[in-house]
Amino acid sequence: MAAPNSEADQAKLQIFKDELYDTIREHGSETRVFSQADLKGLGVIPNNDVRILVDVIQMLTNEKLLIGVHLPGGELGWKWRSREDAKKYTSLPDEPTRLVYGEIDQAGQDGVWIRHIKLRINIQDATLKACIKFLESKGFISSMTNVEMPNRKMYIRADLKPSERATGGPWFTDGELDEAFIKVIEGIIFEYIKTRSAYFSRGTVLPQRQPKKGVVTGDARGVKRTATDISNDDATPAPAPATKAAPPPPKGKPMYLPMPAGYKKYPTVNDITEFIHNQKVSTAMLGVADIQALVDVLVFDGLIEPIQVHNRKGYRVVRPTKQDTVSYAKRQQDRESHPELGDIVLGPPPLSSAVTEAPCGKCPVFELCQEGGPVAPSTCVYFQEWLGLKEPAVATANETAPL
Amino acid sequence: MLVTAPLAEFCTLTIDEIYGELPSRIYASLLMRGRSTIQQLAGDTGMNARQLRHGLALLLQHNLLHYHLDAGSPHYFYEANVEHAYNLARTGKILQMVEETHGAAAKDVMQTIILTGLTRVGDLVDAYQNRIDRMNRIKEKLKAEEDPFGNGVESHEVNGEPKPKPTPQSSKSDPLISSIADLNKIIYKLVEAELLIGVHKTSFESPEDLLATIESDIQKTYPGGEVKGNKAKAEYKDKVAEALRKNRSESRSLKRKLEQNGLSAKRRKLFDGAASANVMCINYEKCLVELRNRRLMHYAEEAFGQTTSWVYASLLNLLSKDISRCRDDPITDHYEKDEEKPAPVVVTTSQLLDVLKTSLDLSVGLGQVDADKISVTAAEKIAELPPRKKFFIDVQAEADANASSDDDDEGEDVKPATNGVNGVNGTHVTNGVNGTAKRVDRRTQLRQHLLLLSESTQGFLRHCGAEEWTVDFVPLMAALRQAEIDATIENTVGREGVRLVRMLRAKGKLDEKAIMSVALMRKADMSKKLAEMHKYGFVQTQEVPREAKADVKKSFFLWYFDGTMALERILDVSYKTMIHSLQVLDTLREKDQHVLSLIKRSDVKGQEDDKLRKIHKEKLTQFLKLERMLLGQIQRVDDLVAVLRDY
Ligand code: SF4
Repeated sequence: MAAPNSEADQAKLQIFKDELYDTIREHGSETRVFSQADLKGLGVIPNNDVRILVDVIQMLTNEKLLIGVHLPGGELGWKWRSREDAKKYTSLPDEPTRLVYGEIDQAGQDGVWIRHIKLRINIQDATLKACIKFLESKGFISSMTNVEMPNRKMYIRADLKPSERATGGPWFTDGELDEAFIKVIEGIIFEYIKTRSAYFSRGTVLPQRQPKKGVVTGDARGVKRTATDISNDDATPAPAPATKAAPPPPKGKPMYLPMPAGYKKYPTVNDITEFIHNQKVSTAMLGVADIQALVDVLVFDGLIEPIQVHNRKGYRVVRPTKQDTVSYAKRQQDRESHPELGDIVLGPPPLSSAVTEAPCGKCPVFELCQEGGPVAPSTCVYFQEWLGLKEPAVATANETAPL
Repeated sequence: MLVTAPLAEFCTLTIDEIYGELPSRIYASLLMRGRSTIQQLAGDTGMNARQLRHGLALLLQHNLLHYHLDAGSPHYFYEANVEHAYNLARTGKILQMVEETHGAAAKDVMQTIILTGLTRVGDLVDAYQNRIDRMNRIKEKLKAEEDPFGNGVESHEVNGEPKPKPTPQSSKSDPLISSIADLNKIIYKLVEAELLIGVHKTSFESPEDLLATIESDIQKTYPGGEVKGNKAKAEYKDKVAEALRKNRSESRSLKRKLEQNGLSAKRRKLFDGAASANVMCINYEKCLVELRNRRLMHYAEEAFGQTTSWVYASLLNLLSKDISRCRDDPITDHYEKDEEKPAPVVVTTSQLLDVLKTSLDLSVGLGQVDADKISVTAAEKIAELPPRKKFFIDVQAEADANASSDDDDEGEDVKPATNGVNGVNGTHVTNGVNGTAKRVDRRTQLRQHLLLLSESTQGFLRHCGAEEWTVDFVPLMAALRQAEIDATIENTVGREGVRLVRMLRAKGKLDEKAIMSVALMRKADMSKKLAEMHKYGFVQTQEVPREAKADVKKSFFLWYFDGTMALERILDVSYKTMIHSLQVLDTLREKDQHVLSLIKRSDVKGQEDDKLRKIHKEKLTQFLKLERMLLGQIQRVDDLVAVLRDY
């Protein structure tokens, strides 16, 4: 590197430096990487004198106005940094602090784990701590959490917002899943889909099935049963429309009905996003992807299902006729005055499952249970409770036991 | 059917429950050891020859055994027929089904046949003739008085006679069947519906023995008894399948005979001669088809409501006239060429319209929307071929692949007139109840329900041609099995658990981080839920070592859902639940033995109300209540087992 000794040279370099910096800034954002050829192309340095260019770049780098980066292929490239940001560097007291800040700065919105800083710049723990403390007190950096690695101590430039990846998006607050918020939005989305994908009928007259009562008779029951006695007279029999006349229609009650085939207006994720947007329920920006994530959860919960009509992918509520007809808003209100009602559960209860109705399906000692073993059906307390022969224990074991 | 230990135990217990200890011990021994000769059984059970013959005869009479005689061998081999033994638990359901579809008299006949086991047509006719005669005598003699106990006989106490004469069950004063002509008509109906079939010479062969015999017969026709080359092998497979099908159709020879004889002309003579020597038994395969129909109707009701489900039930009824079993047998129903496969059965709109109950109001049960909100082309889409994949898993992925999210103008014609129930242009009418709705003809209304079923994600129905409808049972039942598994999981570990399961099913193997981000659950909650489900056998893990040398501490774990394992686990719990219910029942019975022995006494039987003391009556009522709870529970568990295993 030649040494331009004269003051005039120095002054000239100053001018070139400022001009080059300004021109660079005009040519792209802070993220653009300029190669040497790019810088030459700016035409700031007379005759594109490489020597002068290198000197100017060096000066800018020293002043933290340019950041050197390695381009793929080994060449050097540069990004620019604002004067304000650069000043932060120059205002720092010593080299370690500058290095630490540099690491945090470089990590950008993702933030950086304190151990990574230590590894990269090879610094003593105590020094690192001191630097961090200083930078925090200056308000240059702040700590953050990454939802993916919540146990890591991370730092980020104080003026930056953590990236979506780090925060987990709008469903997280301070690195914690915001369950209350999710519940509210989920409720609104579900209600929206329900009311728009099923038809609300105020009082449909529906034929009703007549449950057959099992008749208690003691007639001629022996010790053993005959095969024909094993019947499901306890279960609700299925009606047989083929042979039985439909009973006279009773007065109907309000209910949701399925939409006819080919219905074109099942709400799409875009519809839902727009609706949520207009509801102004949240200051957070909920994008289509965020809403899609919640909608997916509702699908996995078995509350709604995707349905495609032509090329339009909408969502509809499942089992419409089993849905609660009381509006979500009303149910919320009820809960304000009667908190004992507990959380709103979306959708109807799941299909019943015969094995979980019986005590064995949820039995904590199921694996051990055997006639002749330590636990046996003949002495089973859960069955006694189930049959109503014994009061359930304080906390019913089948509900709390972990198995 | 995979015979697991709990299934075997349940079958043994059921036989014990119905036929007593002796046959059940023989049956248990057959299950344990596999096929056995009578000598082997004697060794295993320690019973004497008389007891064994007695027990075997009873089991055979009730069609609970397979037997086989190897050519040249002096000994019969006996084997447990697990399917039939398990089906004993379904007797009540089957009788109820028969009553509802064919009437009380048909149920009476069916019940008699079930109690007797294998029944000669002639014996059945005789038994009913006796009863009718007796009824007539009583009527004449005691014209004024009512017959208090016409039946007299509790025929379930089969005393091991090889061929007990059937005894009609009904004791009510009003005879369900008052003439042999009636009986003939009913038998004809039941045989025609294939609920009863004729027994033929290979009826008692186990499927394996039958296959082995047929295979060796066909092998013999090849030079040197060897099947060589791919072409020959394919041809061989076809021949075996054909022979099996031919054998299977034997059981329908009774039906064919009846059809030839015809019912109308000489009704009384229907079973004269050779026909009355035919032995009939209950055809569980076909009964299961009917039971499956009811189950499907129940699912359709869950999904879309009653009206649609009733339409569906009628359709299934029509459709299953030509369906003999729920599941095809992979060997018997193998066809080398696709063209030879029997075409799927189809129902037309008109056929269905013809059988629908006139009292069924089709105008209800569906939403009313303006015609311009309906895409007629989408609704009427015809799918000539069954779905290629197990679409219920892919439905989301597929929809993602070819759907734009919010584009809804597909530029189609909107013709309100074709829109049936919903064609009430623009005016919101409450479902055609208040009579202001424009009259929509019944066929259009019917089609609305059919189209709704065809559009379902479960695949209840397929609109397979103009005005033609069919059901693809294989994917439909797979979807419903999945729904049952999910319901069981949800009822066991809650909605968040089933959320994770559905997620893993849709996305495959995932690590916790990925699961967390999709499930929107706290890490701690999620890990706990996964661990809980792992214990129940609902989800599985796979260890992925980070380094070549596996170190558990460093490995990470992928979670996944294995449908087959979950299904087997649930079946296992189901069998055990049924076993435990029976054992609990047995305990109760022992406790109340005193009362129960009282009502067995002949001087008390039938007059419990007068003869029993109050305390005993209360005990009895209580016992019967508990018994009904337990047996009812078994029935419901069986509903689940049927979906998971048989339908
Ligand atoms: S202990 Fe009772 S509830 Fe548990 S498995 Fe045994 S019988 Fe069933």
